[in-house]
Amino acid sequence: MSRKRKSFSLVLTTLLATTLVVSACGSKADNGTNTAGSGGEGASNEPTAELIWYTIGVPQKDLALVNEEINKYTKEKINATVDIKMIDFGDYTQKMQVMAASGEPMDIMFTASWAFDYVQNARKGAFMEIDELLEKHGQGIKETLDPAFLEGSKVDGHNYGVPANKELPAQEVWRFNDELVKKYNLDIKSVRSMESLEPLLKTIKENEPDVTPLALVKDFMPLMPFDYVIEKLPMAVYLDTKDYKVVNLFETPELKSALDTMRKFYQAGYISPEVATTTSVEDLYKSGKWFTDRASTQPLAENLWSASYGYPVTTTPAGDAYTFNWSVMGSMQAISANSEHPEKAMEFLNLLNTDPVLRNMVDSGIEGTHYEKIGDNKMKNLPDAKNYDMPTFSLGNLLITYLNENDPDNKWELFKEFNESGIDAPLLGFNFDATKVSKEIAAVQNVKEEYWSSLMTGTVDPATYIAKANEKFKAAGLDTVIAEVQSQLDAWRAANNK
Amino acid sequence: MKMVGGFLKDVVKNKVFLLMVLPGALWFLFFSYIPMFGTVIAFKEYRFSRDGFWASIVNSDWVGFDNFKFLFSTNDAYIITRNTLLYNIAFIVLGLVLSVVMAVVLSELVNKKLAKVYQTGMFLPYFLSWVIVGYFAFSFLSSQRGMLNQVFAYFGWEPVQWYSDPKFWPYILILVILWKAVGYNSVVYLASIMGIDKSLYEAAMIDGANKWQQIRSITIPMLSPIITIMTLLAVGKIFYADFGLFYQVPRDSGTLYSVTNVIDTYVYRGLKTTGEIGMSTAAGLYQSLVGFILVITSNAIVRKYNKDGALF
Repeated sequence: MSRKRKSFSLVLTTLLATTLVVSACGSKADNGTNTAGSGGEGASNEPTAELIWYTIGVPQKDLALVNEEINKYTKEKINATVDIKMIDFGDYTQKMQVMAASGEPMDIMFTASWAFDYVQNARKGAFMEIDELLEKHGQGIKETLDPAFLEGSKVDGHNYGVPANKELPAQEVWRFNDELVKKYNLDIKSVRSMESLEPLLKTIKENEPDVTPLALVKDFMPLMPFDYVIEKLPMAVYLDTKDYKVVNLFETPELKSALDTMRKFYQAGYISPEVATTTSVEDLYKSGKWFTDRASTQPLAENLWSASYGYPVTTTPAGDAYTFNWSVMGSMQAISANSEHPEKAMEFLNLLNTDPVLRNMVDSGIEGTHYEKIGDNKMKNLPDAKNYDMPTFSLGNLLITYLNENDPDNKWELFKEFNESGIDAPLLGFNFDATKVSKEIAAVQNVKEEYWSSLMTGTVDPATYIAKANEKFKAAGLDTVIAEVQSQLDAWRAANNK
Repeated sequence: MKMVGGFLKDVVKNKVFLLMVLPGALWFLFFSYIPMFGTVIAFKEYRFSRDGFWASIVNSDWVGFDNFKFLFSTNDAYIITRNTLLYNIAFIVLGLVLSVVMAVVLSELVNKKLAKVYQTGMFLPYFLSWVIVGYFAFSFLSSQRGMLNQVFAYFGWEPVQWYSDPKFWPYILILVILWKAVGYNSVVYLASIMGIDKSLYEAAMIDGANKWQQIRSITIPMLSPIITIMTLLAVGKIFYADFGLFYQVPRDSGTLYSVTNVIDTYVYRGLKTTGEIGMSTAAGLYQSLVGFILVITSNAIVRKYNKDGALF
């Protein structure tokens, strides 16, 4: 029984040690196959740079096929090839953390505020600082990107990643299963706050016993008027703050009232009793057995959702559009600190963000195999598209991708309008440097893991648990962290005249 | 020179045995001894360096015992140490008793074919992955569709929110691990029962001893050396919790942490959320150190009372 047990930490250390050995051999093997696959044509004095690119998403069946096409194109354009490696969403952060720490050879990697944390890893030295590279090889990027992206993704005054040109602000919407809305003739336009949702949930609960009225997962968090210093940690400033005072979320009346509502919903059965351990409600979406949930939107998102579920989805806003740090850093590609070809990597990223041919090849695959063009910048998926279905937002400039069949022609105009409509959140541009309080943060994170999901989903009674959690957060050193945030924030305000 | 010669002669003489030990020795070298150097990370603030893993270790700053602080800043260190120890003690004691009982029962079954069927049936859960066992448990405990709550509903009882009520979990966890491990362990005891000299039983029968007396006076005493060794080995790992059991079976439910958080899950969550390798290594080192002390002490105690039973 116990002989087979190994502590996780030991396995990890082992892994770190062995990857060193393995990676040394692995890179040699990689070089071999790459030259075999793409060598020959395109005589040039300079050897072709072979870039290794880790990006997020479900590994695709036809990736190797498309990758070969991409390499033909990039070899001709910038004398470089890429080896695209995909890691699934759920594993990406952990695997990248281990690989970066062990010095696995790589050139380009996906990073964001929500996966393989951009700011933290930039500070730890995982990424190369790209200010100069952008100047030299990334002029195209600088021209196409909304300047707010590069400005907002600076860490301590430097850029470490190329953000994807996409929607800039974040706006939360309530999504509704339109079939149920129509069936019961519900008025969704009057919905905005969580309380205003209640009569609708009640109707559904009473008439549709099989349907989960409010489909949530354990990461859910009620919408509250805060800009958080670190996502999902209880330190924030009010969105309309004037004095930039950092508050402890657990001591605000907003949290109490939001959680009281959640608790009410939970007890009324509007939320699944398993919500605190539920990581995905994909099955509900597939079967249509849900009524509403909350999501971040972008222009024409209803079309995307409806197309992907196969039945109509409608939305109504749950809040205003704000530009947060985390929404600016929603999708980025960074150059690894140990990259052997940083200049070529930047050239590649520049091409990816400005050249529609490459961008669409990476996104949609091979013309004639995975998609066909039905207009200047419009395309239609072919049946084989299911073998190459990439997460579009993660791969670079969205605004040069081809439109889908039923997209309106002014789609990208709408994106630009949406980007301009966003209100700057108070902490936009401020990145907390956690090095001085990293021990407290680690302890605080552990407390968060214990209480967060069950509180935020209404699984436990907020009347007793808010106080319990707050007490433990304080014991873990939350006040020290908040004091440190406040002093850094004050310094930042003074420097930026906020 | 003479010593080297003697050593070489020894090697040649025992070459077959040494060859047999080699794979195991290599395994330990690569997966246990070499990674031990990684322990220094516990005393460093790990930062990436361009030149790879070793350079990162060398270039990171020394921070002394800073990495250990987060363990002890809340009462978490107490809770995870307590949980790890108490659960393992329960597993060792109950596992030992049940396994020996099972082994004795199996060995006494007259129908040997049936005994094999039982043995295989009990053995099977050992090969299931914890993820699957976690879903087995979920099919019983799910509050909406779980079997238990449906039975409760049939009798008109209140359904129980199993995954948010900590008070049941010590029993659930112990039940699950016993179900999974007893079959496997009983095989070890069964094998040594098979090795007991049959003439002892024959002599006892001639003297008029009944089954119960035979078990008490022959089987159990003959088993005691192997029981001591198995228990000692288990005590050596008393500080290592079964990660799968404590992570997968309670479905990582936050409200249950007070009774399900053990050192291994704590380290894992710490690394997952913060990515601070130094702190995770620190927690791992704390675990190894206390485990080491426990093995040495328990071995010393055994040696005092029963010199042959001790491991070293």
